Amino acid sequence: MYEKHAMMTGEIIENRRVAPDHFEMTIRLPRSFPSPSPGQFVMIRRVQPEEPLLARPLSVFGFQRHKDNTNLQLLYRVIGRGTKSLSCSKPGDELSVLGPLGRGFTIPIGIKQVIFIAGGVGVAPLAFLLHSGLLSSGTGQEIQKNFYLGAQRAELLAGLDRLEGFCELGICTDDGSRGYHGPVTGLFESGTKLLKHNIGGYDPEETMVYACGPTAMIRAMGHLLNENPIRCQVSLEERMACGLGACLGCAVAVRGESGKREYRRVCKDGPVFDLREIVFASPTGK
Amino acid sequence: MDEQASFNTPRLAVAIGRLELKNPVMTASGTFGYGEEYAPFIDLNRLGAVVVKGLSLERRAGNPPPRIMETPAGMLNAVGLQNIGVRAFIAEKLPFLRQYDVPVIANIFGETVDEYRHVAQILNGAAGIHGIEINISCPNVKKGGIAFGACPEAAAEVIRNVRSETDLPLIVKLTPNVTDIREVAQAAEAGGADALSLINTLTGMSVDIELRRPHLANITGGLSGPAIRPIALRMVWQVVQAVKIPVIGIGGIVTASDALEFLIVGARAIEIGTANFIRPAATMEILDGIKEYLICHRIGNIAELIGSLVTNPDTENEGEIG
Repeated sequence: MYEKHAMMTGEIIENRRVAPDHFEMTIRLPRSFPSPSPGQFVMIRRVQPEEPLLARPLSVFGFQRHKDNTNLQLLYRVIGRGTKSLSCSKPGDELSVLGPLGRGFTIPIGIKQVIFIAGGVGVAPLAFLLHSGLLSSGTGQEIQKNFYLGAQRAELLAGLDRLEGFCELGICTDDGSRGYHGPVTGLFESGTKLLKHNIGGYDPEETMVYACGPTAMIRAMGHLLNENPIRCQVSLEERMACGLGACLGCAVAVRGESGKREYRRVCKDGPVFDLREIVFASPTGK
Repeated sequence: MDEQASFNTPRLAVAIGRLELKNPVMTASGTFGYGEEYAPFIDLNRLGAVVVKGLSLERRAGNPPPRIMETPAGMLNAVGLQNIGVRAFIAEKLPFLRQYDVPVIANIFGETVDEYRHVAQILNGAAGIHGIEINISCPNVKKGGIAFGACPEAAAEVIRNVRSETDLPLIVKLTPNVTDIREVAQAAEAGGADALSLINTLTGMSVDIELRRPHLANITGGLSGPAIRPIALRMVWQVVQAVKIPVIGIGGIVTASDALEFLIVGARAIEIGTANFIRPAATMEILDGIKEYLICHRIGNIAELIGSLVTNPDTENEGEIG
């Protein structure tokens, strides 16, 4: 039958600035709101204002089911009109929430080592995955979790509080203000004192990489894993109008069955894709 | 008592040529997928008709991303008619829609007159297709589409060719990107169209000033949403007076009152587009709102409302404020 999703009105409980331009929002929703799985997203729109017109897609950062309601957490960065409008919302304001949507992360049987690669607010779906039952249930085998988190500078390392103590953590910043000085893919490639492993130290048979971050980071992951057989699932971002697979706005280029370039919908066929499926446009945009 | 009863349950049925709709609320092509995407939110049986995503002879990959951008009171899109192809539609998507008691209109597109004709021929034999909407107005593809819609002779030729392949009701979807939409409307009527639908999107553009790049990979795109509604309404009003066949109003309808404006100026039905993206149940909200309006205004039959625009007899030229 249909995937379980619904459109409901929620109430903002908290909309807290956690870093410059970064906000963590908690929305109270009816008890009947379907439980999201890690990697899924919601379409969020303020109920009252006419503008902006379209809802904005945001990954689920956290979700709790209570006796009478559910709480949904989102971590977002203000980048345009939609997120700006969200950041101005106050506790008590109503939001329309459509979701949970899309195909989330999967964890194949036999995985003993999980690696998270997050850039900026890309931490949101990965933190949700880290805390989900997905990584604790199943084989009964203990899964080793290594988290590599990068941001432009130290004060923009949002979501850290959700990670510390729950995984082996490697931190980096573009300006070197905290942790490794360089991109998160560089940290993953070379390893750190804390995370002794570098990319070569992981057994491809037992390892799964989960990645989410800016396009440049995803592209760098593509290059990094070109020569290395480690499997990698990436959560992609693209502008979208409906979130339901109808508008075909959120296209991502993939290698089709015949090897030809085809487009998939980030909202419906993703947002989580196998990194090796993705066809990257060259940096010049050609 | 009977009169009272009819005011409480107004008649909503409309006829688009030979196509009988239980109400005037249709979905606009390209905004409703193949129906499945919206089934979790609305009862498809309650729609006047479903117009599916534009179909071409073979599958089309569509344009590279980014394909959409929100703009004031609207959005630009340059999807480029990505679709699975007419045969795959019939095999994989039509069976789902056939379960419902709702007319299915196939929107068709071609790069050549022959392609339009071929797609119509294939659809003609398909069980569960109730009509064809001919897209001669897509602004986002290099060949075909708008090239036919911007020229009255070319439009008429496409329609004559499609007509020769099928007896299905033909709706011709017009582009607003012309100097006088009435000329193409009349050519479409003369070419054998049973009805017209308008407007498709207006060609637009938006630029990222930091990167100095267009927001869309296609550079330009089609503008839809409330921003285009007054233009759409004006064009529907003009075309209603220029042709005898029914006109279906499209363009930025997001509420029942928007829909009522189009009906009052003479649209026989309306198609809901961008609103589906904002509220998946928009069509149902609009249908309920139309019904409520008719009850409130004691109008027993929607036919009484259609084309009931009251104009000042002193004003002959549109656009004059006075």
